[in-house]
Amino acid sequence: MKISKYSILLLMITWTLSACEKVIDLKLGNKAGDLVIEGNITDSNSQQLIKLSTNVPFTNTNTYPPVSGATVLLSDDQGNSYTLAENANTPGTYGVAPLAGVSGRSYKMTVVVNGKTHTATSNLPNAVKLDSVTSRVNEFEKKERDITVHYQDPMGLGNQYRFLMFVNDKQVKAVFALNDDFNDGKYVHADLDQNDIKIYPGDRLRVEMQCIDKPIYTYWLTLVQQQDSGPGGGVAPSNPPTNISPKTLGYFSAHTSQVVSVVVR
Amino acid sequence: MMANFSYAQKRFTISGTLKDLSTGETLIGATVRIKELPQTGTATNSYGFYSLSASAGEYTLLYTYIGYETISKKVSLQQSQTINISLSPKSELTEVVISANRPNNDNIASPQMGMEKLNMAQINNVPVLMGEKDVLKTISLMPGVKSAGEGNTGFYVRGGASDQNLILLDEATVYNASHLLGFFSTFNSDAIKDVSLYKGGMPAQYGGRLSSVLDIKMNDGNNQKFTAQGGLGLISSRLKVEGPIVKDKGSFMISARRTYIDMFLKLSSDSVLKGSSLYFYDINAKANYHFDDKNAIYVSGYFGKDVLGLKKIFGTDWGNATATVRFNHLFSNKLFSNTSLVYSNYNYTIQNFQSNDSYKATSKISDLNFKEDLQYTINDKHLLRFGLNVLHHTIAPGEISSPSTSSFNNKTTERRYGLENAIYAGDEWKVNDKLTVLYGLRLAGMFLLGPGTFKTYDAAGNALNATAYRSGQSVKNYVNLEPRLSASYTINEESSVKASYNRNTQNIHLLSNSTSSRPTDLYVMSSNNIKPEIADQFSAGYFRNFKENAYEFSAEIYYKKLQNQIDYKDGAQLIVNPDVESQLTYGDGRAYGMELFLKKKYGKFNGWVGYTLSKTERRFDAINNGSYYPARQDRTHDVSVVGIYKYNDRWTFSTAFIYGTGNAVSFPTGKYNVGGLTTYSYSERNGYRQPATHRLDLGATLESKKKGRFQSSWTFGIYNVYGYKDTFMITFRDSKTDPTKTEAVKTSIFAAPIPSVTWNFKF
Repeated sequence: MKISKYSILLLMITWTLSACEKVIDLKLGNKAGDLVIEGNITDSNSQQLIKLSTNVPFTNTNTYPPVSGATVLLSDDQGNSYTLAENANTPGTYGVAPLAGVSGRSYKMTVVVNGKTHTATSNLPNAVKLDSVTSRVNEFEKKERDITVHYQDPMGLGNQYRFLMFVNDKQVKAVFALNDDFNDGKYVHADLDQNDIKIYPGDRLRVEMQCIDKPIYTYWLTLVQQQDSGPGGGVAPSNPPTNISPKTLGYFSAHTSQVVSVVVR
Repeated sequence: MMANFSYAQKRFTISGTLKDLSTGETLIGATVRIKELPQTGTATNSYGFYSLSASAGEYTLLYTYIGYETISKKVSLQQSQTINISLSPKSELTEVVISANRPNNDNIASPQMGMEKLNMAQINNVPVLMGEKDVLKTISLMPGVKSAGEGNTGFYVRGGASDQNLILLDEATVYNASHLLGFFSTFNSDAIKDVSLYKGGMPAQYGGRLSSVLDIKMNDGNNQKFTAQGGLGLISSRLKVEGPIVKDKGSFMISARRTYIDMFLKLSSDSVLKGSSLYFYDINAKANYHFDDKNAIYVSGYFGKDVLGLKKIFGTDWGNATATVRFNHLFSNKLFSNTSLVYSNYNYTIQNFQSNDSYKATSKISDLNFKEDLQYTINDKHLLRFGLNVLHHTIAPGEISSPSTSSFNNKTTERRYGLENAIYAGDEWKVNDKLTVLYGLRLAGMFLLGPGTFKTYDAAGNALNATAYRSGQSVKNYVNLEPRLSASYTINEESSVKASYNRNTQNIHLLSNSTSSRPTDLYVMSSNNIKPEIADQFSAGYFRNFKENAYEFSAEIYYKKLQNQIDYKDGAQLIVNPDVESQLTYGDGRAYGMELFLKKKYGKFNGWVGYTLSKTERRFDAINNGSYYPARQDRTHDVSVVGIYKYNDRWTFSTAFIYGTGNAVSFPTGKYNVGGLTTYSYSERNGYRQPATHRLDLGATLESKKKGRFQSSWTFGIYNVYGYKDTFMITFRDSKTDPTKTEAVKTSIFAAPIPSVTWNFKF
């Protein structure tokens, strides 16, 4: 439901003349060095990666120290288990040779760092096909394009989706998380609203659609709600609810993955 | 001799109504005193009625009201009598001379504390944004009251949330008091007679909200002659017409306002903006008729709507409607009754017109309220107020309808019905010359009714059971007893100390997981999952007047304990969600502080200075490991200064200055990368502060020379004189100049001085 977006837009237009943005210096706390786990297992037959790093102070550059030497395991509810080996060239990244996750299975991640064990489970949902990705003229700037994804939501509540969008191989800085609360069983046309990268005809566009389970949807949705920061504000920001126990920054997501590439018209 | 003696024992009652001589408007809160008996006095009620008693004798009655000439009237009290008085407004000249009538010291003697009564003349002179005189903006200049932020009409009283204020317009609840997403309030000051704000020491006749009562009364209408007044401003125009229906007996008033910000959009070269709408309008109307000295009827209503739309893409509108019918009846010169039937409604509609995802979403809350309020002047020691209240709520939390071609399904959440009933009694008891006590009890019941299916959720939000109820079947009841107590001890004519305790409960809750309220926020009633919110407030104060009551000073301290407060789970989805109650978590809160207030009410120069030192905290199990954290609206220091200077008959200058500690917010304490995006890590809730907020506004009014009946004036204003870039929000992002770094960005609105000019007329 895109309720806030337009009202914010309108308001912003009205007060454009007197509104201003300024980069400021803030004295921020420094709680760095915490473990971050980003684990993914997808249904595409490829290397499944789990990345370990630590967070850094806000004022640092955006590079995150890898965490090496961890024991990383992946298993499913069918009794299969795999050990992930640290990639020699990219420390902190642990992988397992080509392996396809299977819809309907529950996957478990176990990460042991400095003697401390972190576990998470995630269910790999059934795949929903991303039919097409289309563009249309932006209502305000006729030269710009808005992107819409189209898919048939299966009947029955409980389908969750996450999209990633790349424009000329550059990732759009926005989180897209959708579910079927308002369009269960419908043929869905969903706009991927963002204001990070302006998209023009001729741009190469790559969209990845993931079918995700509910806890992972809540994880991404929490980030979506925090990025909505117009008048009225987003929700008070906090770390999104992880599915990793004990509580750790990051997530473990078993999901489907489908990529559609188009040239914007 | 004997006969005289027995007479002296006999007590008689003087009662009547106080009015404005030129308009016939009843005067609320005017004082009536007996000169010879300094401790005998009373104030007129909401309908201008007063009643007091004394033993037989010769007396001088003094009728006083701020801004009016005092009238003293000799009476020979040998039997009970009715005395209706009309006071004439002070002329411009006599207003300057303050010694002619000594102002009274009501603020010292009255047991009421934590109450601010706003003078409409002052509201009209306080400079405001775009020249739109605004009751709520002026209220936020009072100590203990905090504005929800720039461009937001919401307010916080003594650490309460913005939905914990009961806002009444002629006794009707106004659910959303803001226009244009909060930039203006729904109250058109042309139509308003009286504004009272109770921050503490709530009398027993008020209930239903935790933090404050804002009681707004509309003008009755001039019952002497037809008049019209209006104004043309930069963004809005107003017009009010009033006059007698039957001279001295009945009158009407109708007042309307519309903004035209969208006219500026039409100037835009962009075709979408050109076809967009962005405006609000509202209408206040009232009529009254006095059948005789004992019976009067009042009918009043309000209708307002905001419309916001992007051509062929998106549209939304929302608004309040209220209607009140009241019947005043005097059973005797000691027993005054008011019977009210009140309707109140708030709704919104959101529409998306784009074919692929078109939908229409609506939501509504409507109330039907029966009230009976009685006021009984037992004797010169006791004034009893008692009554009952039956309030029926209907809430349609949300409905979505969409064509079959749309991505959206039709979706409906069940309507909810409930009764909020209350009975109350309160006695104002003059114990002796020094001590006055206002004590009372309010018994408030909440009855959630069927039909519908009601689920109970566990802490994790899983439905434990679902039960279907028939129409009218009781689902859940809560009954709360609310003691109210305040007392004043007069040290001398110029100083007093007061203390109060009150408990308030609240059964209507506004759900909003954004940091401030939006028109689309959702109302829910207490239920099998949501318990009534409860607040206990203790306060004490010292009141002192100087220079023959020309200056009023007060110092109040308060401590407030809040129970059953509501917060939201991560990723909570509140819109059209049948399981919305599964998205909530519950905690408590506390607030305490000190308010200093110095006010000069009279003279060429008047105004006030307020200072508040306070702390507001909340506690939820899932946040900050269950320890107290500052609420967003926690404001350590808050200063407001208002000055109004009447230079001569034609020019009045005014200024307002505010300073306040910034909002308590959560800032990142680190960052990491997930999903290919820079993501921020947070350690504690609201552990940081936005920069302090401050602003200076100036205003000036130029009255034209009077030409016959026609009067006009110009109001000039400058909002944010020194162009302070106040913090509207602070966001964090990858740096635009160096993408390998991150930066904090402050957004300000109204970052430059904003001038305004309004032309007003009256005839």
